[in-house]
Amino acid sequence: MVLEKKTSARVEAGQRRVLDEATRQRRLSRQLEALEKDNFQDDPLSSLPPPGPTARLPAFSETEEPEKKRRKTRGDHFKQRFRKNFTTLLEEENLSDRAEPNYLSAEAPPSSLPPRHFCCVCGFPSHYTCTTCGGRYCSSKCLCTHRETRCLKWTL
Amino acid sequence: MATLVLDNGAYSAKIGFSQETVRVIPNCQFRSKTSRLKTFTANQLDEIKDPSGLFYILPFQKGYLVNWDVQRKVWDHLFGKEMFKVDFADTSVIITEPCFNFSSIQESMNEILFEEYQFQSVLRTNAGSLSAHHFFSSRPSELCCLLVDSGFSFTHIIPYCRSKKMKEGIRRVNVGGKLLTNHLKEIISYRQLHVMDETHVINQVKEDVCYVSQQFFKDMEISQMKGEENTVVRDYVLPDFSSIKKGFCKPREEMVFSGKYKTGEQILRLANERFAVPEMLFHPSDIGIQEMGIPEAIVHSIQSLPEEMHAHFFQNIVLTGGNILFSGFRERLEAELRALAPAHLPVSVLQPPNPICYPWEGGKLLAHSPDYDEIVVTREDFEENGHFICEEKFDI
Ligand SMILES: [Zn+2]
Ligand SMILES: [Zn+2]
Repeated sequence: MVLEKKTSARVEAGQRRVLDEATRQRRLSRQLEALEKDNFQDDPLSSLPPPGPTARLPAFSETEEPEKKRRKTRGDHFKQRFRKNFTTLLEEENLSDRAEPNYLSAEAPPSSLPPRHFCCVCGFPSHYTCTTCGGRYCSSKCLCTHRETRCLKWTL
Repeated sequence: MATLVLDNGAYSAKIGFSQETVRVIPNCQFRSKTSRLKTFTANQLDEIKDPSGLFYILPFQKGYLVNWDVQRKVWDHLFGKEMFKVDFADTSVIITEPCFNFSSIQESMNEILFEEYQFQSVLRTNAGSLSAHHFFSSRPSELCCLLVDSGFSFTHIIPYCRSKKMKEGIRRVNVGGKLLTNHLKEIISYRQLHVMDETHVINQVKEDVCYVSQQFFKDMEISQMKGEENTVVRDYVLPDFSSIKKGFCKPREEMVFSGKYKTGEQILRLANERFAVPEMLFHPSDIGIQEMGIPEAIVHSIQSLPEEMHAHFFQNIVLTGGNILFSGFRERLEAELRALAPAHLPVSVLQPPNPICYPWEGGKLLAHSPDYDEIVVTREDFEENGHFICEEKFDI
């Protein structure tokens, strides 16, 4: 049965889209960027329904406090200067042409050890590569799951 | 005059007066599903009875301070009457920043500390320098040490020769506690239960069940076994924040290996996740980060330094930061370094009793050292000389 599944998977591969190297790289960097995110859900404040007659009364007194505080802080001029994101700040440092040790030069270089491969479904060591996306899998069961779920996801 | 020591981490602030003990407090703000209109600051986290779906507002991005609005709210709270009641005119502050902090952030730091808060004097430094001070205070005969600071945003390897930071040897591995928690969230969500919104809960899962493997591929085999033979697998009972306030591991004797629990709790089954997640610190390339892991990066750092110092560095590797608390971290690092280092050099990796507060304790010692007054910049100095005097005196 396992054998049968494998042949059918191979035939199917012939018709499936094959992602090029650039797409695979983009997909990897998107996955790595996601690991830097602070939150995946929406801010509960922004996802509030518009206040209506049903809104709890104590909630209103809660809003007043931060608003008052905000008016008091003298930080408006800070807003421009003090609200740059990491990428902007890094660019402004102009580090690429500096000789002395700096943020960019301190990054650990690539490992000289051979890469290790793990099944993108179950996490165990894997020996096979998905022909479509280059993802790794360990068994026909995991390949099936992979194709049904993630294989062509994040490929835009 | 009092001295306040603030190790201002991207996830937690380690803060306390130099005469007192340290407190570890979240360095961020939160919003919760249950009281959407309120923003909770730092340790107000304790007021949130149901922290499921907790929303984080962090002042740091990739380890660098970018959101000053949030940072100042946290500091206002920490310095204010509810917490440390700082009398700024009569207080000196020791505050930490990351290695190679950007110059514009350093200037903002000066302005906010001297002009906004009006501290009497300031010492801005790296957490690593405070750790080095701690180390050399307790071992005055040593010449060198190599600090491994593995925190929320990344891991730094920083060599010190006495009080001198050897910048050319600094290495950064872009793996920290945040990435590990997010990765754990990601694989649990894919394999069993959607937890992408539960950073707070899954961070606790990570702290409770993850460990650094001493025999990675052997543990992979064990965690693939069925039934009792699988000594790696754990069942973690998730908190529901009503009857179960805090998650925990089912005791081994209560584990049901086949079939379902009848108790109705929500359970995560964790096997290779337990050690594959902290493994990123040792092999970032496992998830596609093309960087050396910590052991290799340490060797790379030491090799960039004068050869006569190598022996001293390999013998004095000091671990700080939250990731050090994964059980097995020190043993694994020492074993890997032993294999990578030249055979004739002894290797010794030291884990302080409290790796999270080791830099803070170093700051406390520094505040009491006789030449403290000479290494700070006073508000008067700053008003007279501006940023220049800070650049001269502080080694960031
Ligand atoms: Zn698999
Ligand atoms: Zn695929």
